[in-house]
Amino acid sequence: MKTISFMSLALSAALLAGCHTTAGTSVVLNHDNGGSVVYEGNTRLHNEMSVTAVTYDKVPAGLNRVNIQLTSLVQRELHLQYRIAWFNAEGMEIDGDARTYRPLTLQGLDSVTVTGVANHPSAVTSRLRVREMRAADHVH
Amino acid sequence: MKAMFLPVAGSMVLMVVTGCATAPHVYESELDRAPMTSRIEPQDIRRTVEKMAESLISDAGVLEATGGKRPILDIEPMQNRSQLIVDMKSITDSVRTRLIRSRLFRFVDRSTAGADIAIMDEQAQLGLTDPRKAVKPGRQSAAEMYLTGSLTDMVTHAGRVTDHYYKFTMILKDLRTGEIVWTDEQEIRKVALRPML
Repeated sequence: MKTISFMSLALSAALLAGCHTTAGTSVVLNHDNGGSVVYEGNTRLHNEMSVTAVTYDKVPAGLNRVNIQLTSLVQRELHLQYRIAWFNAEGMEIDGDARTYRPLTLQGLDSVTVTGVANHPSAVTSRLRVREMRAADHVH
Repeated sequence: MKAMFLPVAGSMVLMVVTGCATAPHVYESELDRAPMTSRIEPQDIRRTVEKMAESLISDAGVLEATGGKRPILDIEPMQNRSQLIVDMKSITDSVRTRLIRSRLFRFVDRSTAGADIAIMDEQAQLGLTDPRKAVKPGRQSAAEMYLTGSLTDMVTHAGRVTDHYYKFTMILKDLRTGEIVWTDEQEIRKVALRPML
């Protein structure tokens, strides 16, 4: 009986580990018309965090800049990573490899504003992607 | 028969086991992954470079100092004042790459000046190059500013916990005035917890 319990526990753990997802939340931002669309690819993250404000401006050199406010919906601390990618008018990503995931710690029910500056004058839209820190641990 | 079977089977099992043990599982990893150690890792360098380049691009002071023109910069490799072995030139090279690709900055490179002279000498003396097309010394652009910085660290031990604090500082100095026209910092703090056993 004990063996069966142990085996079912191990099986559950293996299944849970197998279900580990790298999906996150994406916010697509259009600097031309000021629009933003949020895609939720991770149910847990959707329930824990939301995008509460988006503003656009330009840096003195003329490049687009975006400020996005993220708000925690839970009491506990969230360990996340975010990446802001930039796209040209044809929708192609500019210098994709050069854009990094940055760590972001959201305290319980707190808000944090993340900022991204376009990496090229032709960048007209951007995409913020947020994922849980554990998603970065994904090992094949 | 039995006497032969055991050694043969044993050696086959041994071969299979050692064969499996020596073949490492290799896969291409994502560039930005979770930290594996409390030392400076590639993802820390990448995010430092990105932050510094974004900060420099966003700064109004740099454009003011050059009257709105694309400034010509050079690089002085960053100083490593930490206990780590880090290729500091590689960091400034990466910042330079980002800035050049933004099309807002121009760069000269003193570190390849020797090669420049050697190529010009060859063009002038070997007789292979059309003398009218040969590049002559004395026409290169002059750096108006240079980019440099430093890395420092602080390590604190408390029981099983080791706290590592790193700070990258970069500055942009105007050669003509001697003023620092831009500076920024990237702080990284990592905690390593030693296992009980």
